[in-house]
Amino acid sequence: MKEAHILDYVKASAVVMGLPVDEARALRVAEHLQRTAAMARLLEEATLEVSDEPAEVYRLPRPSGGGSGGGR
Amino acid sequence: MVMSPQPLAALDTLDAGALADAIARGHVSAREALDASMARIEQTDGRVNAFTGRTWARAVAEADAVDARRARGEVLPPLAGVPYAVKNLFDVEGEVTLAGSKVNRSNPPAIADAFLVQRMQAAGAVLVGSLNMDEFAYGFTTENTHYGACRNPHDLDRTAGGSSGGSGAAVAAGQVPITLGSDTNGSIRVPASLCGVWGLKPTFGRLSRRGSYPFVHSIDHLGPFADSVDALALAYDALQGPDPLDPACHAERVEPTVGESERGIEGLRIGVLGGYFHDHATTPARAAVHAAAGVLGAVDVVEWPDPALARAAAFIISAAEGGSLHLQELRARADEFEPLSVDRFIAGALQPGDWYLKAQRFRRLYRDRVQALFQGWDLLLAPATPVSAPLIGTESLEINGRMQPCRPSLGLLTQPISFAGNPVVTAPTWPSGTGGMPLGVQVIAMPWREDLALRAARVLQQAGVASLKPANL
Repeated sequence: MKEAHILDYVKASAVVMGLPVDEARALRVAEHLQRTAAMARLLEEATLEVSDEPAEVYRLPRPSGGGSGGGR
Repeated sequence: MVMSPQPLAALDTLDAGALADAIARGHVSAREALDASMARIEQTDGRVNAFTGRTWARAVAEADAVDARRARGEVLPPLAGVPYAVKNLFDVEGEVTLAGSKVNRSNPPAIADAFLVQRMQAAGAVLVGSLNMDEFAYGFTTENTHYGACRNPHDLDRTAGGSSGGSGAAVAAGQVPITLGSDTNGSIRVPASLCGVWGLKPTFGRLSRRGSYPFVHSIDHLGPFADSVDALALAYDALQGPDPLDPACHAERVEPTVGESERGIEGLRIGVLGGYFHDHATTPARAAVHAAAGVLGAVDVVEWPDPALARAAAFIISAAEGGSLHLQELRARADEFEPLSVDRFIAGALQPGDWYLKAQRFRRLYRDRVQALFQGWDLLLAPATPVSAPLIGTESLEINGRMQPCRPSLGLLTQPISFAGNPVVTAPTWPSGTGGMPLGVQVIAMPWREDLALRAARVLQQAGVASLKPANL
């Protein structure tokens, strides 16, 4: 997205979301969103299959065996 | 009961573990320990600005209760009489939970303590107050416009880090030996690094978050800061426990680490993170890791999977969840928000759904890749911050010849780790090239193995590579 498009997007979506955003704030918000858009482009590199679901309420598995010297 | 009165000044030389031991043995009373803590806060906090609230009436009651229990001959719990303080996003009964904000001031006082405050009270610790932070935890510098910047006790012109800046600074200033904070993208590890204190970000889901004000439900962690590894382990053990009322608490039982941390590192496979973690670290940060690696016998360089993508995903999820959480207030009272973060919150609220969902889908794959890495390693080392503490107000900083925005860049090396959820101890080291300022090392373990990180931390402490230094206040 180009800068002008981001600014347009901020102004339009702020109206939809009920967020009062004057011109100065819209510019600052667009600057932040531009940075996030770059992050989102980076994330496009990740190969995701249709079967790849979002993380659930995030939970980590306990290690099975694992460390060589790490047994309790 | 016979007490051996101890001069208050002598208490400065005791870490929290030794203080608890001295209280249990009757060498010092809980009230004396509290008096020393309150005096230190009075003496220093006008310059440091770590505290936003003081709970001294409660503290006196808690300390006197400890002394009364000892007088009755009861066996005291492990942190009996040890003063501590909490980031002001923890509920404290009768106090308004500010979460660093102005808009929360009109909220009613908390009707109960947060789960972790209850745990600390059960362990006998004495709550002296609440601590400064970035508004709603969205920041790495604690340059809080409403309550003033928290200053680094080792150089008052420099940031204490954030968002748990008050938690790092209060320990570094010797005001209290233990504090509690939160860490979504680095908010325990960054201030621990910049203030030169020990910090533990436990496994995601280990400690209950009930009664704390959230920032990003998907990534928020809570944990302790302390003035020694023993104190860190004592506090962490006290905080543990299943909480069926917190859907994000996945702990099944208490897994004590006190005692475990004395086992040393024999047999542990320890590596050093290269690539991204080397490229985004300045020379002092690399030197800090090099020194720690030398003590721990870590030679091999290891590549962490997809750190840049993980940081991007954490960035997107944080903005989206934070923006959504505060949407109502942003609609009505945006002008009362922190100027440094309000526009980021609004930008987050406007993010396309695709960005957020892609980030969450990526996270699942990422978790599996990171945990696969730990089939070959027990612990991995990395710098906690790319640089030592910047001056307050710094807008940009140079990292290896490239100018970067200062505030978000302080989390470059912590965000990919917390996005995976692994436990991390931040060890306070003092490399050359920082003008005498500290810079921390992350000791990263596999999930649910905080004990391994604490074992390595203890070795670093014993070797003299990582420790606190007194702040000249």
